[in-house]
Amino acid sequence: MNYLDLTIKELHEALVKKEVTPLELTKEAIKRAKEDTNNAFETILEDEAIRIASNLIEPEEDNIFWGIPIGIKDNFSTKGILTTASSEILKDYVPVFDATVVERLLKAKAVPIAKTCLDELAMGGTGTTGHKGITYNPFDKKHERLAGGSSCGSAAMVSAGIAPFALGSDTGDSVRKPASYVGLVGFKPTWGRISRFGLFPFAPSLDHVAYFTRSVEDAALTLPVLAGRDFKDATSSNEPVENYAEGINNSINGKRIAVLKEVIDSIHDDKTLELFNKTIENLKEKGAIVKTVSFDLNLLEAIYPTYMVISCAEATSNNANLDGIKFGPRHGGDTYQEVMNNARTIGFCELIRRRFIIGSFSLMRENQNDLFLRAQKARRLIVNKTNEILENYDFIYIPAAPGIAPKFTDSSDKLSTNYLIADNILVLGNFAGLPSITLPVGLIDNMPVGANLMGKKFQEKALFNVAKAIEDGTGLYNLSSRKLVK
Amino acid sequence: MNFEAVIGIEIHVEMKTKSKMFSSAPVAFGAEPNTLVNPVDIAFPGTMPVVNKQAVINAIRVSNALNMSIDNELWFDRKNYFYADLPKGFQITQDKRPIGRNGYVTIKTSNGEKKIEIERLHMEEDTCKQLHLSTYSLLDYNRAGTPLVEIVSRPNIRSGEEAMKYVEQIKSIVQYTDVSDGKMEEGSLRCDVNISLRPIGSDKFGTKVEIKNLNSLSNVEKAIEFEIIRQQQLLLAGIPVDQETRRFDETRKETVLMRKKTDAVDYKYFTEPNITPIRLSDNFIKNAIDTCPELASSKKDRYMNSLSLSEYDADILLQDKDVSIYFDAATKFKANPKLLANWIMVDIAAYLNKNNMSISKLKLSPQHLSDLVLLIEEGKISSKQAKEVFADIVESDASPIDVANKLGLVQVSDEGAIKELVLEALNENPQSIEDYKNGKDRAVGFLVGQVMKKSHGKANPAMTSKMIVEELKKR
Repeated sequence: MNYLDLTIKELHEALVKKEVTPLELTKEAIKRAKEDTNNAFETILEDEAIRIASNLIEPEEDNIFWGIPIGIKDNFSTKGILTTASSEILKDYVPVFDATVVERLLKAKAVPIAKTCLDELAMGGTGTTGHKGITYNPFDKKHERLAGGSSCGSAAMVSAGIAPFALGSDTGDSVRKPASYVGLVGFKPTWGRISRFGLFPFAPSLDHVAYFTRSVEDAALTLPVLAGRDFKDATSSNEPVENYAEGINNSINGKRIAVLKEVIDSIHDDKTLELFNKTIENLKEKGAIVKTVSFDLNLLEAIYPTYMVISCAEATSNNANLDGIKFGPRHGGDTYQEVMNNARTIGFCELIRRRFIIGSFSLMRENQNDLFLRAQKARRLIVNKTNEILENYDFIYIPAAPGIAPKFTDSSDKLSTNYLIADNILVLGNFAGLPSITLPVGLIDNMPVGANLMGKKFQEKALFNVAKAIEDGTGLYNLSSRKLVK
Repeated sequence: MNFEAVIGIEIHVEMKTKSKMFSSAPVAFGAEPNTLVNPVDIAFPGTMPVVNKQAVINAIRVSNALNMSIDNELWFDRKNYFYADLPKGFQITQDKRPIGRNGYVTIKTSNGEKKIEIERLHMEEDTCKQLHLSTYSLLDYNRAGTPLVEIVSRPNIRSGEEAMKYVEQIKSIVQYTDVSDGKMEEGSLRCDVNISLRPIGSDKFGTKVEIKNLNSLSNVEKAIEFEIIRQQQLLLAGIPVDQETRRFDETRKETVLMRKKTDAVDYKYFTEPNITPIRLSDNFIKNAIDTCPELASSKKDRYMNSLSLSEYDADILLQDKDVSIYFDAATKFKANPKLLANWIMVDIAAYLNKNNMSISKLKLSPQHLSDLVLLIEEGKISSKQAKEVFADIVESDASPIDVANKLGLVQVSDEGAIKELVLEALNENPQSIEDYKNGKDRAVGFLVGQVMKKSHGKANPAMTSKMIVEELKKR
């Protein structure tokens, strides 16, 4: 057995018993990171990690992160460490401050092993647009299938057993979708639960700090370290931080769960539905009340365009600082307009440029009413409908993706009617800012497939409780490609 | 044809808060370039704005002073445009819901009083300072993020004088509320004037010209007067006025073209997603207003009604906020306010003027000024002697009584001591007694002179004279 293959909870016990030291773990993690074949990393932090781990001698029993190797998505600001957001325009950017979550993880004595790859600036869901190229799904040794994005590197890192925890960010489904593709638990809490200070913004009204673990309980145990009010993020909540793992094994008898009819109807993959339905049977056996409810087809079909307009509009403004004057390499120009134009044309990939134009277009005076403001109204209607369902139910439960990870040849970031609903449904959690967790429910042709459970605002504890019941039912605990794929 | 000018004014006021509008970097004037900045001010990726509470309190105070209705929710918007002076590529401002709406100020002009209506007051952040050189530009981010209030009048100003009085009034309000230094020459109060002409009686607006770079009150008046004549001449010659931005050239005393205006820029405004709307409780707003430093208008009322100063005196004291603060401090002690006001307006003003000094740098404390005035009131020194004492204490802030003693100026007002000298003088001058009895009042003056001689000038002249008369009557 290799300690690095344990969950955080198991690993913590081994560290406390001094069966293994942080330095040994770190060295093993660095070794595995260097052997990575999936293009998971922007920067491997060998020297920094060894230095931190060397100072961790006396175990801290009540500190879950003590000595735990972790990954950090490369759109979190790390002081003195290159932070590129996988973009050419930030390829040399070394921040002068740590993101609040990074600060908290370092204070908790976690050991960052690497900064991980992402879709450029966290925009995109395929893990193919970063400046270092495609990130592969660790479950697919032929490198034909995507890991999903935008948190592709963090997903690949945890799935490949290089660390039991990695930070990601989730604006549409950027942690919860790849989690489904690589067999992990992917979790984002309520908007405002974790400070976003230091997370490079994509669309602040939708952005969440999120993360990958290999068990539901690990997700619950680690949240208190990351959560809480931060005076540097005015949108962070004063809501008290709880002990989220407490009562995680409690009975779920009587819990009310809504399954969305239109989402199920839109999925054509029988095996995916079969695996999903099996978990429903299991939930019912445990006393949960699971009902299929209708959302509203029009609203569901509006999710993707609404998301594109709002997220692109916010994104074009958020990234206006990357102009070749303050940030980003200069590519010449006689006027300031030319300097900016050149820096931004060369600095961003095609997808980013397209999204900036969509965003800018929808904010133009003559288009705002028809596009941006209409999207805001659509968002409000979609959120109202979601909350309406959650008045009668405790949770909304759906397949996290229409199937296993698609092949690169089948995927595109451009608008298509194929899986318009099932491929974009996780955005509900971002629109409404609700806690949402993806976890594996089965394997099809040795590729994982996941389900997603969404709860009420600040009801993370209840969410973990039911997610744990689903996990107990599937037995897919601590899944990793390292164990399954030879 | 007779024309009427239609003038609207936008005033940007830099607040003198401790820190910036959305970051914890300090606010100060004249520091080394790029030393008062933190990652938020330069828009490092991942930084977020946090609203400065004092700036909100200030905005409420100014809104209240301008008789505006105050929004009970704070909303901020992004104004997007690419320019080198904007670190983020957008400015955080209040577009849709300014904190203050629909107010007015009353100004006094040579034609009497007039209400100038104010459309809105909103908070925003300042941009960085640019210095354009021949082949490059320098950027100083110290100013980037400094809190501003922008006050937008309605276009119901009609002349250079009205405009000047309006700006003067706003300047007084932001200074007295302690919101800003309000120094036009340092740019902490900047005003842009929009001006167009139309035939009297018409309700249509003419083409509007914007004048920037007005760095003094008198330039506001002069620029508008020039511009009215310029536009009038164009219109009378049948030449249309172009929509353009002009600046005031101080040496030529005329407005000169900066740039022609094309279609207005589309700033693609949208609500700032990193600041969720903030509810302002009634209590918070009330408290901000209740704790606001006293405005000039309220002080004037107090000076005239409680302290019985003339309007002329009150206006002079209120011209400079620091002078009024000094006066207020001095009136806390016993001396007569009217006499204090005279000393401040005459002697102190002359001293400050001579030394090119502001009253905040004056050594003499308000308490010692009051003590000095009290010495005169109590008859301990004469007004003439007080000037001698003043010449000393204005430099030293020593106690006036100590200085008067040191200079040997304090009058003897001790009855016994004076009486002794009076008797002596009478006994030595029987002829004077005789003269007095024969109706020659002059004799009293002579005798007073004798007593003064004996007392080396220290005997209280009034007391001396009174006692001599009493004594003469007895004889």
